[in-house]
Amino acid sequence: MDIDDLLAEVAVDTTPQETRDLQALTRAWVAERVAPEMLAWPGSLMERVLERVRRQIELVEDQTGSMDPKTNFKLIVIQTELERFKFLVRSFLRSRLRKIDAHPLHILALHTDADEMHPLLSPAEHQYLTSHQTLLSTHYASSFLSQFPSSLQRLDDTTGGISMVDKPDEDAAVFVRVLRDVGEVAVEGTEKRFEMKRGDVWKMYDITPGVAGSDRWARDEGQNAVHSGERTK
Amino acid sequence: MALPLPPGLTPPEIAFICEMELVTIIPRQRLEGLELLGGPLKPLNPPQRASLPLWLALLLKRQRRANIIPPPWLSPDSLAAILQFETESSPDAFSPPPRLPPPPSSTTIPLSSPFLPSSTADAPADALPYHWLELGSMLLEAAPDDFDDADEVRKLLRGLREARMAKLRQGVEVLDAGGGFKMNGVGGMELGEARSFITGVVDGLRKIGKSREEARRERERENGYSPSQNYEDDEMDMR
Repeated sequence: MDIDDLLAEVAVDTTPQETRDLQALTRAWVAERVAPEMLAWPGSLMERVLERVRRQIELVEDQTGSMDPKTNFKLIVIQTELERFKFLVRSFLRSRLRKIDAHPLHILALHTDADEMHPLLSPAEHQYLTSHQTLLSTHYASSFLSQFPSSLQRLDDTTGGISMVDKPDEDAAVFVRVLRDVGEVAVEGTEKRFEMKRGDVWKMYDITPGVAGSDRWARDEGQNAVHSGERTK
Repeated sequence: MALPLPPGLTPPEIAFICEMELVTIIPRQRLEGLELLGGPLKPLNPPQRASLPLWLALLLKRQRRANIIPPPWLSPDSLAAILQFETESSPDAFSPPPRLPPPPSSTTIPLSSPFLPSSTADAPADALPYHWLELGSMLLEAAPDDFDDADEVRKLLRGLREARMAKLRQGVEVLDAGGGFKMNGVGGMELGEARSFITGVVDGLRKIGKSREEARRERERENGYSPSQNYEDDEMDMR
């Protein structure tokens, strides 16, 4: 389940939407910073947050003229918070950009496979990825690739057992905070079983590496993202 | 534009998260309610206590507009008790984290630190919350005059930190490739410090063990398991 779905369901909750969005954004940022894989784009959350940031900037611009010391202090508080939000958003986007730059072809393939309701990339990220990749491949082709035999010119060759498409280390170790009881998690190839309870902090690695295709980074499960928590519920 | 930092949170980023923790303050000045991006801020009326995020409390404190009430676990008595527990009663494990609030209904997002009220004036006194080290040192730096005995608190925090660092270092021996282990009670900053080392060791061991693992799988396949059956077995295991 996506964070957005969860957010939609808790409309009856008493916490204001703004506070919940801050919590969701913080969690998304932490997860994106520590997970080796690219995580899905939280579309509606980002829309709401960016819209609010825009309105807040307008408010600050409107009121900066005032010389009243009371309003002045209010503005300081508002601006301090605004800067904190901008840092969160910026750091979140930049850590995504870093992953796009590191593994462009892999991420593009994942994005193409992803379901339309939950895209992996935002439209802007997708545009950046494709145009950057086009520029790069045109450059490679014109500077040296065109001199190679045509069978050696591809950048995404997967024949011969070795894929040219780099991908992140999906089995990398992560820290996990369990937000809901998960039950038993098994490690493939060994007899090890863990009971994961809410509130636990775990160091995890090597969870079912053999079935990586069905593994998911379930961002709603753990603060620092759970590897393959989904199927065990 | 891409972030030049390696994966994993850096200490300033952990401090940034810690600044979202709620703390209790006694305002000295009136402040009207504000519509902030992270939710509305209630008006401050001295001398009524209020719970605010730490960044705002520090700002008000710096401008001498409020006093911060240190959380109960940051008192010399509680810290001394926790330190004694860490060093004598359980020399191998971290002291347990504070008890969680009752689990939320299945439709809400469960809260986690820094959004749990674990550092307000009514937080439990007998357990260190996730951001204990960062919060303690930030409060000691910005508001030493709000503590009864700041030096004693500083000394105890230092002692706790050293006792726990030693445990974290000892824990390196249990690292092996395959599986996971429980680190309940560990703090945010401690995790941040140890993260790159621990993940480095684990990933290194995993790479060393990889060829053995592959050989084992190869053998299983030769023994008549087809990959699809293997897959089903895994599915069974997971249930």
